[in-house]
Amino acid sequence: MKLRKHQKRPLGVRIVDWGKSWGRQWQLQTMVLPGIISMIIFNFIPIYGLSLAFRSYSVTSTMASAPWVGLENFKIILKDKYFWESVQNTIGISAIKLTIEFFLPIIIAIMIFELKWSPFKKLVQTITYLPHFLSWIILGGMLITWLSSNGMLNQILNMIGIATKDNHILNANSYWSIASLSDVWKEAGWGTILYLATMSKIDPTYYEAAEMDGASKLRQIWSITIPEMSTIISLNLILSVSGLFNSNLDQTLVLMNSQNQPKAEVINSYVYRVGLTQGDFSYATAVGLGVSIISVVLLIITNTVTKKLNDNQSVL
Amino acid sequence: MKQHKTLKKFATALVALSSAVILTACGNGGGSSESKSSDSNLPKATYKLSKTTPAWKSDKSKMTTLTWYVNADWWNKDYGKDDITKQIKKDLNINIKFVTGDDTKLNTYFASGNMPDLVTISDPNSKVARTAKDWAYSLQDLGNTYDPYFFKVASKDTLNWYKIDGNSYGYPNYSNTSADYKSGKILPRDAFIIRQDVKDAIGNQDFTTPEGFVKGMAAIKAKFPKLTPFGFNDFSGGNSSLENVVQDMLGVPITTKAGKYYDRDTDPDYIKWLNSFREVHAAGNITDDSFTDDADAFNEKVSAGSYATMMMGSDVNHGTNLQDFASKNPKDAYIAIDGIQSTEGREPTLSQAGISGWMINYISNKTKHPAKAIQLFEYLLSDKGQMLTNFGVKGKMYTQDKDGMVKWTPFAKNIQSNDPSAWQQKYRIGEFILFGHDRYKALNKDSYVKSVWQMQDWGKKYLKPQFQIENIAPNTGTQEARALGAIQTNWSTTMVSLIRAKDKAAFNKTLDNYKKFQKDNDISAINKIRDANIKANMKKLGMD
Repeated sequence: MKLRKHQKRPLGVRIVDWGKSWGRQWQLQTMVLPGIISMIIFNFIPIYGLSLAFRSYSVTSTMASAPWVGLENFKIILKDKYFWESVQNTIGISAIKLTIEFFLPIIIAIMIFELKWSPFKKLVQTITYLPHFLSWIILGGMLITWLSSNGMLNQILNMIGIATKDNHILNANSYWSIASLSDVWKEAGWGTILYLATMSKIDPTYYEAAEMDGASKLRQIWSITIPEMSTIISLNLILSVSGLFNSNLDQTLVLMNSQNQPKAEVINSYVYRVGLTQGDFSYATAVGLGVSIISVVLLIITNTVTKKLNDNQSVL
Repeated sequence: MKQHKTLKKFATALVALSSAVILTACGNGGGSSESKSSDSNLPKATYKLSKTTPAWKSDKSKMTTLTWYVNADWWNKDYGKDDITKQIKKDLNINIKFVTGDDTKLNTYFASGNMPDLVTISDPNSKVARTAKDWAYSLQDLGNTYDPYFFKVASKDTLNWYKIDGNSYGYPNYSNTSADYKSGKILPRDAFIIRQDVKDAIGNQDFTTPEGFVKGMAAIKAKFPKLTPFGFNDFSGGNSSLENVVQDMLGVPITTKAGKYYDRDTDPDYIKWLNSFREVHAAGNITDDSFTDDADAFNEKVSAGSYATMMMGSDVNHGTNLQDFASKNPKDAYIAIDGIQSTEGREPTLSQAGISGWMINYISNKTKHPAKAIQLFEYLLSDKGQMLTNFGVKGKMYTQDKDGMVKWTPFAKNIQSNDPSAWQQKYRIGEFILFGHDRYKALNKDSYVKSVWQMQDWGKKYLKPQFQIENIAPNTGTQEARALGAIQTNWSTTMVSLIRAKDKAAFNKTLDNYKKFQKDNDISAINKIRDANIKANMKKLGMD
């Protein structure tokens, strides 16, 4: 109602009004300013670079002088075996990661939440968070050693009676599970933070009332904890589904070798290799643009779905 | 409804904003795209030119600052702090601001049009190098206009090699001409090496034939169960020493007799040897970890002596590790022996840095100080500059006898053995290599660690240049370059798969798949370009 009133007033008045209210909030507005500026510089201006996807660009000339080639680069993508391989791997690895990494933090968070002895709770939290703070460069190096022929994994397997001398990271068929499980191990603990924060906001009287009504622990989790967290869960779902094509570049670059490459190359590492290593910027940009478009479509789809599930309210 | 309108507004704003950005960016870009191809507009020299004296001696202009971009993150950016750069600063009246970075930064420089005065890159195949005439001054023009003495110190062959349409734009370090190869001052770097104690213990084994190699490795395994019988360089950034290095050991030809491109990877002799490596692997005498180790892991294993034998590529680069092992176990130190040799009676054709060299230096055509820039090139290439950058200040760090051989002074020796960090940082000996050349290193035996001397001696007689096949890849961005990229990726996988194949049948199948992949990616179109480039190379080399 208020908005409509505003719109009926003449433009001049509206501008003055706008200025006035801006003046009242100038401290707040200046705080937002750096964010807006950096967004323009780092998110909007680079949009121009996307035009490379439709040009044939060479680094020594400028972007503006590169000749237009229309959809040429995209046509080549369709025939590129290594691109499709990387799409397959990206979706495969992401799907495994998403499924586990979506549910596991919720379960861990509820378990941590139910722990009543606080020193132990802290300990569990710290241990599960820890791998998150190690970079893939370090973690990858550790993994390669663990999975090598005399590594930790084989020693454990030998101890329980399975004789093996395989170097597991060379085995292309086990790469998907290695990549996704190691990522889960690294990130699952960290993923609980948002959930724990939300859970601490739940009114304890709900649980007291439920207990009086004779609800079991599981019943309480199912009927109180999870519904209370539904917004944040669906937000997380949207974010992770839209990230289906965002493969982990660091992880791939560290763990990939010539033997597991057919199963390890993901879109990001492919773009990196073609664009930066081989200097074929136009082609790499075309690949990147295509992937971004698909990601946006995915984002919109999940948003619509969760909206339906969430009484027609968007969580975004 | 409400939401819809806001969204629409937002979208309009976004479109307006991005188109504004595009327009401004176009405006900027347009201005910087013009290229100077003719250098007739070079201002005249302010001093008298001479063919016999370096121009820096007559140029009395005041202190000039040059920005020098080096496309390598590891380059030491200090200037004027150590003995060597202090001397350069004093002699030339030049201050240098070094900037380092990777390809991304290099590309940003080009995209912005705001170029540094000097640019050093290391890929002669790159687009940047191939289009140098659009962004760099020709060294001939600069030399004629400001410093004719430059032509006295620059190698004619090297300049000729880097010619684009009649002019040279870049000058590389470590560019070895055929005269250098013949001089005996360039030393080989690859060898099949074995631990002395292993060699003594296993008796008479013949590592020169595929069958003998497999048997020899088994013999090592029997006597030294703790050692890995056969090792090779790590795979980070390449195909280890199992590709080019082995092919060189086997003397696989670089071109066909008719001077056409020869696919060395599918050479029958080489394939025979890969198959024997497969047998060695199947017998458990190559560990799979060799395929996943990174450079650090490999270095560690070399200095621990974990491998009984190694196909060692670039021994000088692993000199410290070899020396480490040798000093701890003087009796077991690795030595080079005859091994991995052609079944067709060909001699090894070991390679070294080619005529393209390593890091290539350019003078940007946007520089305001072209005279100073070419003087700097000339100074660093001259005897004076070379002796300075390789050995430091004469008298203080080194003495030179009648034959020109260099000896460290006791003062220098003391620092070298007791304070290696000062040796590099404060005195910067042998570290300012942007115009370095092995010719000067050869003047001092101590240039190389002792542990590689025997290896270098072993291969000396096998050194052979491969100039014809340098920089013959198709231009980046072309369909052929993309196909070649895919083929090379496939080959990396194939080569290791061949060695790890379970049996001969799997080996053959993998190889057939690779040959089919080559065909599917139109290898003949790529080879056509390679053939043309080889032909152009031969013309430059005067071999046609």
